[in-house]
Amino acid sequence: MTDRRRRGSGSGPRTPRRGPGELEAAVLGLLWASDAPATATWVQQRIGDDLAYSTVVTIMSRLYDKGLLTRSRHGRSYAYQPVSDEAGLAARRMRQVLDREDDRAAVLASFVSDLSDEDERTLRELLRREARDPEDGRGG
Amino acid sequence: MRLAVYLPLILPLTALPVARLASDHLHPRTATRLLTAVAVVLAACSTLCLALLMVVGTAQVPGNPLPDGWADPEVRDEVPLVRVSGSIAIAGLLVVLVAAAVVLRRAARVRRDALKAIDGLPDDGGVAVLPDAEPYAFALPGRRPRVVVSTGMLACLDARERRALIAHERAHLARRHDRVLLLVRLAAASQPLLRPLRTAISYTVERWADEEAAEAVGDRRTTAHAVGKAALATRRPARPGLPAFAAPASGSTPGQVPRRVAALLGPTPDTAWPAPRSRTGLAAIVAAAGTTVSVVSALNATVALFVILKAATAL
Repeated sequence: MTDRRRRGSGSGPRTPRRGPGELEAAVLGLLWASDAPATATWVQQRIGDDLAYSTVVTIMSRLYDKGLLTRSRHGRSYAYQPVSDEAGLAARRMRQVLDREDDRAAVLASFVSDLSDEDERTLRELLRREARDPEDGRGG
Repeated sequence: MRLAVYLPLILPLTALPVARLASDHLHPRTATRLLTAVAVVLAACSTLCLALLMVVGTAQVPGNPLPDGWADPEVRDEVPLVRVSGSIAIAGLLVVLVAAAVVLRRAARVRRDALKAIDGLPDDGGVAVLPDAEPYAFALPGRRPRVVVSTGMLACLDARERRALIAHERAHLARRHDRVLLLVRLAAASQPLLRPLRTAISYTVERWADEEAAEAVGDRRTTAHAVGKAALATRRPARPGLPAFAAPASGSTPGQVPRRVAALLGPTPDTAWPAPRSRTGLAAIVAAAGTTVSVVSALNATVALFVILKAATAL
């Protein structure tokens, strides 16, 4: 937050300060208007305000973290797309299904099952050992 | 028929050694197929014999709709201990039917609701990405089989690990692991002695999908990391009011994930059948023998009872 404000006001002194969330809304609005997935560069060129590239990236990754954007690889950076209402609705419905099943692993082939404390320790140890000695674990 | 009718009820015990050994010593594909076949046959024989006992047991219950001849001493003498076991079998079969119905209804309900939840989403190459910070991913079979994955899950993996995750779920769909799991869940519901097989198979199908994913991305370590990172990210503190969430899923042994990661960090498993003299080989032979005896006993009992009842009805 402070980072964004400093950069925003620093780079364009005549630009009025934006309230929190306003930049997010502006980015979302741009993405909604765009037909194709858009990169941070694309957004930066259109959003005005002389925003720094890194600011735009920060806003977009924050929106992504909140689940409001999806992203895909686009060269060396990401192209973002707003999550449609449809997808958001689907996610909420899916969460209801999953939350209702106390034993979801028994019904759906879940990628991973829950870990016990003991499992977590074993797993961290495995990954740590493997990171220290990567060649050791290499199999055929 | 004599004691043969009781054998299939206890012969599932012969499958326990192989259930313990196969998941670690056989290729997961071989292990899954072997254990599933054994579980399904043993469950079918056990349920058949329970039904036979129930027929004989029901005939002695007053007011039953069966021919009176079926409760004749000649019939009852054919089945040792039928006075007790017949009554138990009635209750037993009822429990089996209810348990199987619960398994089937639950599977159908979850699948229907999950399909309904993503209904209307664009089919993005068979993957439905749902905007949700909570990490989850699973295979959703159906007319349009889909991999369902949350943005939270994708966020905790790098690009190659994501490919491994998608490949893993696609393997579940391509190999119809949902059917395998449903079958063994039914088997375990109908014969409690088969529960260790259900646990073993729920692990071997994950291992199978892991191996296919490792092959698809061409890197076992990446796949191991994907499984490990996803499991650590999925870890969540107990939610008040939802204690079951914090407990390990009952369908999976504690330690499933670490074992999967360790297996992926090790060498590619051998697809060969176990040597007959190895412990796994011996266990497989014991299970095969037990299954064969179970089938023979069940068929023998069926034929014997059929003949006796036919004779009794004619009287």
